[in-house]
Amino acid sequence: MSQLSSGICRRLNEAPQEEIDQLASGHTVQLLSIKKVAPTSSSTTATDRFRIIISDGVHFVQAMLATQLNDLVANGDINKNTVVVIDKLACNFVQDKRLIIILDLHVVSRDEEKIGAPTAPPSTQDAPAPAVVEAASSSVASPAISSSTGQTKQPQPQPRTGPSGRGGRSVYPIEGLSPYQNNWTIKARVTQKSEIRTWSNQRGEGKLFNVTLMDESGEIRGTGFNAVVDELYEKFEEGKVYYISKARVNLAKKKFSNLQNDYELSLEKNTEVEECLETTSVPMMKYNFVELSSLEKLEKDNTCDVIGVVKEVGPLGEITSKATNRTIPKRDLTIVDMSQYSVRLTLWGKQAEQFAADDLSVVAFKGVKVGDFGGRTLSMVSSSIMSISPDIEEAHLLRGWYDGIGTEKNFQSHTSGSSGASFGGFNRNEMRHLSDVKESQLGMSDKAEFFSTRATIMHIKSESISYPACPTQGCNKKVVDLGSGWKCEKCDKTFERPEHRYIMSMAVADWSGQAWLQGFNEAGLAVFGKTADEVHEIKERNEAEYNALMAQASGVTFNFSCRAKQDTYNDQTRVRYGISRITSLDYREEAKHLVDLLKSPWAQ
Amino acid sequence: MNDHISMRVNSARLSGIKGRTVRLPCKVLRLSDDTAIVEASDGGQVEIQRKNVDITATYVEVIGSVVDASTIKAMATLPLDSEGELDMQLVNDVIELTFESRFDKLFPRYKETEPSMPAR
Repeated sequence: MSQLSSGICRRLNEAPQEEIDQLASGHTVQLLSIKKVAPTSSSTTATDRFRIIISDGVHFVQAMLATQLNDLVANGDINKNTVVVIDKLACNFVQDKRLIIILDLHVVSRDEEKIGAPTAPPSTQDAPAPAVVEAASSSVASPAISSSTGQTKQPQPQPRTGPSGRGGRSVYPIEGLSPYQNNWTIKARVTQKSEIRTWSNQRGEGKLFNVTLMDESGEIRGTGFNAVVDELYEKFEEGKVYYISKARVNLAKKKFSNLQNDYELSLEKNTEVEECLETTSVPMMKYNFVELSSLEKLEKDNTCDVIGVVKEVGPLGEITSKATNRTIPKRDLTIVDMSQYSVRLTLWGKQAEQFAADDLSVVAFKGVKVGDFGGRTLSMVSSSIMSISPDIEEAHLLRGWYDGIGTEKNFQSHTSGSSGASFGGFNRNEMRHLSDVKESQLGMSDKAEFFSTRATIMHIKSESISYPACPTQGCNKKVVDLGSGWKCEKCDKTFERPEHRYIMSMAVADWSGQAWLQGFNEAGLAVFGKTADEVHEIKERNEAEYNALMAQASGVTFNFSCRAKQDTYNDQTRVRYGISRITSLDYREEAKHLVDLLKSPWAQ
Repeated sequence: MNDHISMRVNSARLSGIKGRTVRLPCKVLRLSDDTAIVEASDGGQVEIQRKNVDITATYVEVIGSVVDASTIKAMATLPLDSEGELDMQLVNDVIELTFESRFDKLFPRYKETEPSMPAR
């Protein structure tokens, strides 16, 4: 059994700031537990954070693992009961609370039994402080549990001589907020305040606004409705720090926010908001920048933070929203960074109109959404924050780099020209297999969704392959047989002979599954190599030959670009996959692509 | 089971495997009665000894035993012609890929040991 540095936990819990720095390294402790907590910043969802309990055999304290050590958890290098030596730690103080962060450690041994019987350290100079620590730690633990078990009532350690008794000045970390504790105060900076938005639907109408609040431990979204808007909207100012208490903690509606917190605040009539003038301990803005070259790795619809030099500012344009029929101003910027990649970023609304940064300024963006239009693009969403020439290290680095060598560089663009899925172009990089398409329920929402896939035709429904259509260019409406001719209702013209157009249902399959695709004229031409008129004629003339033709078309593989959409037919709603583009395989192209894939880092 | 393994090779990979059976995708440059000169996927030229073996296409895969680093004694050929030219660069890429150690489990390889030693 390893020898732990007993007494260190108590010291860590009690010592003042200066002593902590000296306490930093060389102590042996055992990790009693490692728990993943919801990531604190709204950046790339990949950043996990781990809360650990370290024990010295006599006492245990809570600490956070610095993200640079996350790999150790992922590899299994550290897990429950691992004994480690702390090489470096830091301690952040938030009012009366201390947050210990382990910055570096090395493993001594694993798979040991729990050493000693560690208990919570004794109370320190301030009676409520350990109460805050424990109440906070238990309230943090309980959301982690309760959010998975739902409604289990956690027996809360008696709401201590908690912070409320002291006029709410003992501050909770945002991380520690939960619906089970009401007597809290947070000290946070308003990093973003939305505009007042009004809505009206069948249930009524009203107005609301959102704020994003951030402190050392994390971020949380707050929303105020109707009367609260009048009271609090002016009070909150972006960039300022406030003490907030007596708001309701609810489960977060993830649909409306891309912050990582499981909870959000409802600002009510009795919510207290007090401006705080002592702002030193609250961080300005936490960024987790992603290099532009690695944007490809992020999935569409993720959010990320980026920082770059604005190389190009597009003109103010307008786009009409199909949903609301309103015009929205937009503006495209092109930003570049040291990874020598460039990407387009879209601003909307007021931001687009008011964009006034000089060309070539360094701008930081937090919480921008990744899109796949033409490769990769970025877009501001309501909770994104743009900061021009921020006073942070990365910005200075970028400035120096760009002024020095950046101007001459040619940047690799993410606008790869291989059109994104929304164009219906065949996007080889984003090809999905059929079981994936079905499982991800593409097209189940009301919107049409697009995907590309490669599959083999298994069966074509040969009963109805084509329909008689109006020969007029552009009009494909079905024409009715009047006996004396074929009439098109739309064009109000009668024709002697209709022009047949393909409309087919085909079962296609790949290694993972099967699906029914609906193909139109273009698809039929690709599959049969004959016009619908010809095929129709063969069908009439010689059934055997027709069947042979159908058989010949089966077993052929194509690349499909499809559109998935819900359709209601006779009370039955189903997802239908329509073929927007079909291409035969060019084996050379496909093989080349496979070779490239094998040579890429992915395959190593 | 040392026999019956025939790896697809290019001209460079012919060295060191004298006596082994190989497959060589290649383009026929010159044809004479008993021999042929072909160009392998890496551009190198190889002589094919082909008594009684027919070559019927421009691009063929020659299956035979290695005489030396630039000669193969053909046992059979497969025509590889298709629409347009065969992309020899692509063929070469694939050949080189098959030899990479990360794919050891996918492709049967020639045993390194001498045939006289007991197989492992």
